[in-house]
Amino acid sequence: MKRVLIIKNEITEISTLVAFIESIGEELGLPPALIMSLNLALEEAVSNIILYAYPKEFDKDISIEAVKENNALIFTITDTGVEFDPTKGGDVDITLTVEDRPIGGLGIFLIKKIMNEVEYKRVDDMNVFTLKKLLE
Amino acid sequence: MEVSINKDGNKTLVKIVGRLDTINVADFEKEITPVMTEPGRDMELDCSQLDYISSSGLRVFLMLQKRVPGAGGKLVLSNMKSEIREVFDMTGFSSIFTIE
Repeated sequence: MKRVLIIKNEITEISTLVAFIESIGEELGLPPALIMSLNLALEEAVSNIILYAYPKEFDKDISIEAVKENNALIFTITDTGVEFDPTKGGDVDITLTVEDRPIGGLGIFLIKKIMNEVEYKRVDDMNVFTLKKLLE
Repeated sequence: MEVSINKDGNKTLVKIVGRLDTINVADFEKEITPVMTEPGRDMELDCSQLDYISSSGLRVFLMLQKRVPGAGGKLVLSNMKSEIREVFDMTGFSSIFTIE
């Protein structure tokens, strides 16, 4: 299975992304809890790109490719925005008390918790972010 | 996503229906901000129909957990679905909220 979705850098496009993940989940017969966690990881990754990759620019593309390879589902998110490595950070201390928990940093933490592997590459003028989930 | 807010004695009961994600978190924040720091009032967030939460939603919840007790009230999250509970467990949020 290989599917590609191209969206614009607008936050409302997250709902297009949700529908894309749901339809892949249906096609592959994935359990609802897994679909939800893929939804979460992809939303975190894509919303960061929408919010930060193209400062002050509109109508820019973000491409999300989904491929099933053996027993893994691999998502590759590509954008031509500012160079940004989303795999940095996410070292969240989940034992802190509420007073000490900072408000930010959860997005990449969740991605790393949910996905089995993540990788970032800068290729020509593109950010290429790969997220891999092993299927049972 | 829909939010309903009702006052019941000394408690503000907030029910969230649907998804809390990057698209609608601003709406949720707008609804909740006027009631979150009424002095001495407890707040219960009824999560029985909360289907999905992403980090944007977690951020607002964390803000509530910092602000409501700060105003002298107690915050309780009730009837959370298991998928939502899993996200709370993953992020360590289960230990900083009162979940019933």
